[in-house]
Amino acid sequence: MKMSTPSEKPQIISHIHKSLNYTVFDSKWIPCSAKFVCMGNFARGTGVMQIYEVERGEVHLVKEIEKAKPIKCGTFGATSLQQRHIATGDFDGNLHIWNLEVPDVPVYSVKAHKEIVNCIDGVGGLGIGDGAPEIVTGSRDGTVKVWDPRQKDLPVANMEPVEGEARRDCWTVAFGHAFNDQDRCVCAGYDNGDIKLFDLRNMSLRWEKNIKNGVCCVEFDRKDISMNKLVATSLEGNFHVFDMRTQHPTKGFASVSEKAHKSTVWQVRHLPQNRDVFMTTGGAGNLHLWKYEYPAQRSRKDAEDVDMGVAGTLNLLQNITLSTQPIASLDWSPDKQGLCVCSAFDQAVRVLIVTKLNRV
Amino acid sequence: MSVEMVSSLLTPGERVHGKVPVEHLDYDYIQNCSDLRYLEKIVEVLRSGEEGVYPHLTEFCEKRIEKLNPKSRALRKERPPATAADFSFDEWSQISEELKSWETEVKRTEAELREVSPLYDVEDLPPVRGSNSLISQKQNSVPSRTETKRKSALPRDYREWDKFDIEKECSKTDGSNKGKDFPVIINQCLPKINRKLDTAGLTEKERAVLASREREKGNEAFKANDYDEAVAYYTRSVSAMPTAAAYNNRAQAEIKLQLWHGALGDCERALELEPGNVKALLRRATVQKQLGNLKVAADDLGNVLREEPENASAKKMIQEVEKKLRECAQESQSKGRKILIEEVEDEELRAKPGLCVSGESAAAPAERGDMGNAQKKTAGRAEGAPQGEADTHGTRRRGKRGSLDQCRTQEAHEKKLPNGAQASGSGTADQTGRHNSSADNTAASGTGSRLDAPCGALPPPLARLKNEGNQLFKNGQFGDALEKYSQAIAGCIDAGIDSPEDLSILYSNRAACYLKDGNSADCIQDCTRALELQPFTLKPLLRRAMAYESLERYHKAYVDYKTVLQIDVGVQAAHDSIHRITKLLIEQDGPDWREKLPDIPLVPLSAQQHRHEEPRSAELAEARAARAAEGAAKRAEARFSALKEEGNNFVKKGQFQKALEKYSECLALKPGECAIYTNRALCYLKLERFAEARQDCDSALQFEPSNKKAYYRRAMAYKGLENYLACSSDLQEVLRLDPNVQEAEQELQEVTVLLRQTLVASSPDKPRKNITIRETNDSDDEADPSNSKTRQASADDSAERASLPLRPTNAYEFGQVLNAAHSRDDVNACAELLRRVKPETLPLFLSNKLDGETFHFITRALDGHLLQEDPGLVYQHLCHLPAADRFSVVLMLLGQNERQQITHLFDHLSAVESEEFTGNDVRDLAAKYI
Repeated sequence: MKMSTPSEKPQIISHIHKSLNYTVFDSKWIPCSAKFVCMGNFARGTGVMQIYEVERGEVHLVKEIEKAKPIKCGTFGATSLQQRHIATGDFDGNLHIWNLEVPDVPVYSVKAHKEIVNCIDGVGGLGIGDGAPEIVTGSRDGTVKVWDPRQKDLPVANMEPVEGEARRDCWTVAFGHAFNDQDRCVCAGYDNGDIKLFDLRNMSLRWEKNIKNGVCCVEFDRKDISMNKLVATSLEGNFHVFDMRTQHPTKGFASVSEKAHKSTVWQVRHLPQNRDVFMTTGGAGNLHLWKYEYPAQRSRKDAEDVDMGVAGTLNLLQNITLSTQPIASLDWSPDKQGLCVCSAFDQAVRVLIVTKLNRV
Repeated sequence: MSVEMVSSLLTPGERVHGKVPVEHLDYDYIQNCSDLRYLEKIVEVLRSGEEGVYPHLTEFCEKRIEKLNPKSRALRKERPPATAADFSFDEWSQISEELKSWETEVKRTEAELREVSPLYDVEDLPPVRGSNSLISQKQNSVPSRTETKRKSALPRDYREWDKFDIEKECSKTDGSNKGKDFPVIINQCLPKINRKLDTAGLTEKERAVLASREREKGNEAFKANDYDEAVAYYTRSVSAMPTAAAYNNRAQAEIKLQLWHGALGDCERALELEPGNVKALLRRATVQKQLGNLKVAADDLGNVLREEPENASAKKMIQEVEKKLRECAQESQSKGRKILIEEVEDEELRAKPGLCVSGESAAAPAERGDMGNAQKKTAGRAEGAPQGEADTHGTRRRGKRGSLDQCRTQEAHEKKLPNGAQASGSGTADQTGRHNSSADNTAASGTGSRLDAPCGALPPPLARLKNEGNQLFKNGQFGDALEKYSQAIAGCIDAGIDSPEDLSILYSNRAACYLKDGNSADCIQDCTRALELQPFTLKPLLRRAMAYESLERYHKAYVDYKTVLQIDVGVQAAHDSIHRITKLLIEQDGPDWREKLPDIPLVPLSAQQHRHEEPRSAELAEARAARAAEGAAKRAEARFSALKEEGNNFVKKGQFQKALEKYSECLALKPGECAIYTNRALCYLKLERFAEARQDCDSALQFEPSNKKAYYRRAMAYKGLENYLACSSDLQEVLRLDPNVQEAEQELQEVTVLLRQTLVASSPDKPRKNITIRETNDSDDEADPSNSKTRQASADDSAERASLPLRPTNAYEFGQVLNAAHSRDDVNACAELLRRVKPETLPLFLSNKLDGETFHFITRALDGHLLQEDPGLVYQHLCHLPAADRFSVVLMLLGQNERQQITHLFDHLSAVESEEFTGNDVRDLAAKYI
């Protein structure tokens, strides 16, 4: 099977384009629906959440919710399928959980950080990831905190620089390794290029690595399996894929890197239905669709007979240019393979269809 | 000199600095340049238009790059998103249709979701993570755990102790180890993946979603060649909702892992859910081929090819299988083990006992060897030497019958005997019957001159036709063989030859050809004709049965197979098929399938007796004698197993008291039987006689130190006795022996909760929980011999494991254990803890947690328990204790009682004589304390 024949390649279709009257930071599908939430910032300095529904080639606004502070990020990762509450982080450092049916008062609210919450991720909900539902937030104040919606006011884990150490801006967080009730990891990326992997079971820092440029986004290929791969994207257009199965004592995890976009790689999102396919979004408004190919042997012995990982290769399946502005968020529909929503800084949100993903 | 060399000579500086000279923007240069990097640079220049716009040259250069490296980054172009124009009309409408139908579907599911009351099952979730722990962002530094709430800390979950990575914990705790590297961590999640999903309270739809998600995970793992993991996830998928796809995929993963039997089971389950699933059939065929059941594999492949005649892998495999089958056929033929129906018989009439009526008993052995060759090869061997003689006997007898032709055949055989390929050996098989024919045929194929060999009562031209047919059949040219047989049959009828035997054989042989060609209907017709001519002949019956089976007329096939077995019980193929058909019939007709069967004809005794007769050989007589000698022992054994059986039955009925008595009797007969002990333990458990149950488990474990049942039941006994600590360690042992025992895992969770409750709340009046005990099943009463080895191996390290939970490796765990002991006021546990802790590490472990009460507790443990056993250790501990943080403060704030305790301790210590310390040492030490 040759991938080069154009008809066999996945195609990215810009299905719906919707201009908005605010700056949109994040967009997320509401699980088990044809609706998505856009989160952002009105020009007047307030926060906004809009719910749109996809219907026959168009989107129509279902609900608009205005909040006091601009909303930077949101996740459905820690909610049950019945409730479908969204957890958001805002410019003021608050973590809120909203019931989108009754959005006046948050279900859960905590002043999580001293400064803006840059990033958020959830696990243990929607049947993804064993164990308790937990939310992790990362902030400009340099801390990464894990929250359990059942515990008020206090995080259940706090990853903070030691006193005297420089506080780096945390740009991205991701859960992973949640394949049973006990194991769970948080990966965080910082503006100085640090990637840190925290083991929540042992409450320890398990691995760290500097990729030289600010880490814009990290994501595990799947949250609910023994950690398999991690993608980290960076400010100057490179991204790295780490094979997380074998950790060498000194060399850490094996990785392959690829320069994809000529500008910042803002986001990486793995296809929920196939962990080896992922999309990266670029600062010049482009999207790249990749597939990771495993090597024949995923680990080998080094000179001292210690196991070390072997990285695979990356295959560019498709790339398109969508906008002139950075695409800041992208979210695959968990329910419909190939459907995704992305928001760009040209104040627009787009619904895309990627075809032939089941054949890659 | 190549262009490249020139270019590097001419403009070395420029190339280093990355500028492309104008003369390189040239077709010839680009054509000959193979430096990819440089070409990429050229294309960059061309695209930029700095040197002018040359669209053709740019394209040419791009093509050149593509030729060198199709994946080159320079070839990546910015593209707009695809639009309708990029697709064919069909594709486009399909895409939009799919999306539309998804929209409506998801709306429906969402509406359904709303209707379900939001049952948020908090009970199911694990507890909130213990504390707001701070994780340092520095690697290898001492984690400073500042707990915001300092309530009585919960002891560490006992399961966690088991999975403790000591190395890692050490490197975290010991400040000295700062520079030490982390060990290799391979994220092998396999033993830790829960194989079963809890789907209680989920709707059908949710379960389906869950199942498909787990299956996807399995698929991904499969693609990454993690077959073990894939199996685990498929198992989870199946536990959420059994689907043919998941079973099928698991079968494939198991095939990769060469777990043939598991794969076989999975294929069968997949076929149960989706009869005729091609993938399942194909995989089952693969497994059967591996297991050596070539016939079954061929059947499955036949079914696949009927569904999908173009299936390439099935085609390929069936060729392999048939090749092997042919090899096997030859082999088993020479050994006389099996009747293979493909084989074409020559002298089938010999197999018909009804024909040899002359009744000379002298010829009997030879005859019998002939008839029963399916299963009586030993007999044949034993008679090897006198074979020739017996043969001639038979021939003579036949000669008397007046069939001249036959006599001639026999003579031919005898002639062949001295130089015959097979006959030369020890006479593995007799020279008559089928072996005869095979010898015939091998000889025929060897010389090619035996086509004229006379056959039965057939005139030579017809005999020739038949032989040719046989030859062709052997060569796999079934169509041609069919023609020959048809000619022979036609000739036979035209000539009016009255030889039902020969005609029957011809029909039977032609039926074989039809069967091979997949023409089951004609095969049945021919078989029926053959049987009309010669009732109760084995081969036509078998062939007809197979034809019926392939036409899915199972009732008739069943009857035919049964008839075959009446004639000869040794036909393995018939046994297998009966087995298979029975299953299908039960599925089809339900439990009273037998009533729907047509009558099975009764085979007359004359047709079957020869088949059943046993050869009387000296060997057998000896065996009988030996058996008689064994009789007495056997009877005791029988009594034992009868008792056991009764016991098991009582257990099944829930009459545990009676079962108990039976098992006790069993043990009186044979006291060394592990399974009985575990079974009796079960009865005791059911009767809530926990102490006795425990004893039985202990004895069972003596005989079989790694019997997981015994461990499990002892754990249950301990639970009944409210000894949760022992219970949990037994359960852990079970899980260590077999991580897949779900019950044990559940129990362990339950017990851990109980344990924690007893430790923390120390409420002895806890209501007892129901105890669930698995039922006995006879199958595993006997220890599985294949497992016993691994069990043995793993049993060795069990001893060390058991003591693990009390051996802390860092301050946190030490604190947990100490707190647990303290809250129970269990001085003994504290002493045990101190015994396990190196005195030097004590201050480190205590860190800043030392307070008056802890101090008092420790001194009590030292004084009350440790002093008698190991005064040296007490002395060492006391030496190192002052190094702990807060020691001086604690000392200052001690009350009267505590001070008295310390004085006592030192008094006792100085009273002890030891080589490790002197009275003066003690006095010096005491000065630090008092």
